[in-house]
Amino acid sequence: MTLEVQNLHVRIAEREILHGVNLKVRKGETHALMGPNGSGKSTLANTLMGNPNYEVTEGRILLNGEDLTEADPDERARAGLFMAFQYPATIPGVSVANFLRMAVNARREEAIKVKEFGQILGKNMELLNIDRAFTSRYLNEGFSGGEKKRAEILQLAMLAPDFAVLDETDSGLDIDALRIVSGGVNALRDENRGFLIITHYTRILGYVRPDFVHIMLDGRIVREGGPELADELEDKGYEFVREGVAAGA
Amino acid sequence: MPDALPAQPATPAASGHFVEDRRQAALAVYEAAETPTWRRSGFWTTSLRKLDLDSLEPRRYDAVDSAIVNDHLGDEEHSALIVQRGASVVHTDVSDDRIIVMPLEQAVVEHPDLVEPYFARRLPHDEGKFPAGNAAFWTGGVFVHVPKDVQLDKPIQAVWLIDEPGTVQWAHTLVVVGEHARCKVREYFLAPDFEGQALHSGAFELYAAPGAQVDLAHYQDWGAGDVHDLSVRRVEIGRDARVKWVPIHLGGRLTKQTLDIVTAEPGSDMRHTGLYFTEGDEHLDLFTTDRHEAGHTTGDTVWKGALTGDSRASYEGLIHILPGAAETDTYLQTHQILLSPKAKGDAIPSLIVEVDNVKASHGGTVGELDQDQIFYMMTRGLPRSEAVRVLVEGYFEEVVQRLEDPGLERLVRRRIAEKLKRAEDQVREFIGERAEVL
Repeated sequence: MTLEVQNLHVRIAEREILHGVNLKVRKGETHALMGPNGSGKSTLANTLMGNPNYEVTEGRILLNGEDLTEADPDERARAGLFMAFQYPATIPGVSVANFLRMAVNARREEAIKVKEFGQILGKNMELLNIDRAFTSRYLNEGFSGGEKKRAEILQLAMLAPDFAVLDETDSGLDIDALRIVSGGVNALRDENRGFLIITHYTRILGYVRPDFVHIMLDGRIVREGGPELADELEDKGYEFVREGVAAGA
Repeated sequence: MPDALPAQPATPAASGHFVEDRRQAALAVYEAAETPTWRRSGFWTTSLRKLDLDSLEPRRYDAVDSAIVNDHLGDEEHSALIVQRGASVVHTDVSDDRIIVMPLEQAVVEHPDLVEPYFARRLPHDEGKFPAGNAAFWTGGVFVHVPKDVQLDKPIQAVWLIDEPGTVQWAHTLVVVGEHARCKVREYFLAPDFEGQALHSGAFELYAAPGAQVDLAHYQDWGAGDVHDLSVRRVEIGRDARVKWVPIHLGGRLTKQTLDIVTAEPGSDMRHTGLYFTEGDEHLDLFTTDRHEAGHTTGDTVWKGALTGDSRASYEGLIHILPGAAETDTYLQTHQILLSPKAKGDAIPSLIVEVDNVKASHGGTVGELDQDQIFYMMTRGLPRSEAVRVLVEGYFEEVVQRLEDPGLERLVRRRIAEKLKRAEDQVREFIGERAEVL
């Protein structure tokens, strides 16, 4: 199983943001996509999920060989793709538990039994150190930054996708919340699931060690390597990468 | 139309009776008044030109087919149930002997001492053609009296049923809740889907005595027939009393209503939470007033609406703080969602403050569903139409939960889901188009 991006060009409101991105994530692998603000990381995440604000002008998105470039977001989700949002939407009037049940049922033929759902939910909430009362609150309404990110990872855990994109999940988290969220992600890593962790900073990578690191600048992936690339970035910063690219060009 | 009414013999001069004198005076106003057209905000007009008033007549019945009543009320236990079909009360069932629930006509005769001090106190007979017509022609009617200190757990239910075209229903409800009494009052306005016109012209008044606590709900669903509803409803709240009022509008070809809630004495508190969902070619025109007459009163008003089809809905909510009402603390919010490109609506909050030293705020939004919310839900696997349904239901949930009545909450949720289902294709197309132009 693979998630593959081939020569992806994307524009938003007539301006091209991604200029031909190639990326391949196999099941069982964890990739980190790093880059400074405005480099196009979130554009890639949103395009992977089919956000209608982003227009693909060239290239393809393939999930397990199936072309999803034109698919609606719900089809992508049901095909096994998930994104944890940087800024998740608030859904007033819909409790976390209700929302999770709807989402779980959306990818099943038959609705999940209440008891089974309760057990899985209980287990995953324990994993993420989430209080029972949390699930009766309206989704993201009045949530702190940390609560929103935990709710995203809780959805990831409940939906058990083949591939998960984490868009700046570490941003705005204090060290305790980062530990909890990272612990959740690590617990969900297994040989059948691929991760694409999008981040500006290297600190989450201290907790979730990636297999591969890609660095994005100005809408292109400019360097790729193993986890040591993140360490190099930690030491030298994005300017170093930028200078390297300029020198190489 | 007046000559079609057999109910009350005309008396040549003032009879000295509080009901008869009002009928006389009102009849003169009704006959002199032109059929009104309501205009607001420069462009909003509610016109009755399609209503053929002369073709309608009150019709009397002596029994009721209870299917539609059961379908809406379920098998919930009640303190009392009273049903008026057309011009007649056809069913009265009171299971709590501490309270009085009976046709208003009967109460005028049997309990004039309880009725007269309140009857029409907040319902002038000369504030328009239809209030006058109502004052002149009402028949049957509902009278509710919950005496001092009586605490009811089960609701008092009143049903207004129109089940034949060509009919007019002049409705009057008077509810008096005594000091420190506590009760739930629900009125249902129901009609099956029929071909042809009908008119409900309603008058409702409720007086909550000092310390009383009242949960009041109005549930209107006139179905798909050509039912016009022209009504005035007023609630007066006494010292340290509290009324929670939830008016629900889920159907009616044309509705023009004035809904006023008055904190009349210090310490009184209003919670006023409304909901409407229009579809097809329905036309809804609501004007609500939160009227603060005394100081140290509090208010909290939220109205939410959704529109599909070619429907029109206008909500105007006024907070009016009178000179005597210092230290009032109140706010009003109104929201409206358009789910169809052809639906048109407005939601206007307004404020008149005639005294210093109050806290009052208001706000309003009219808009479409948020594309970011729809995208978010779709990324969790929900198809667009399902995402829309969940968002609209969630949007209304704040209001529905204020009903604090599981049976009524289920009914409202069910009806909203049905309406969304009917509009599914249209909404999907509309929302989908919006997603593409972004």
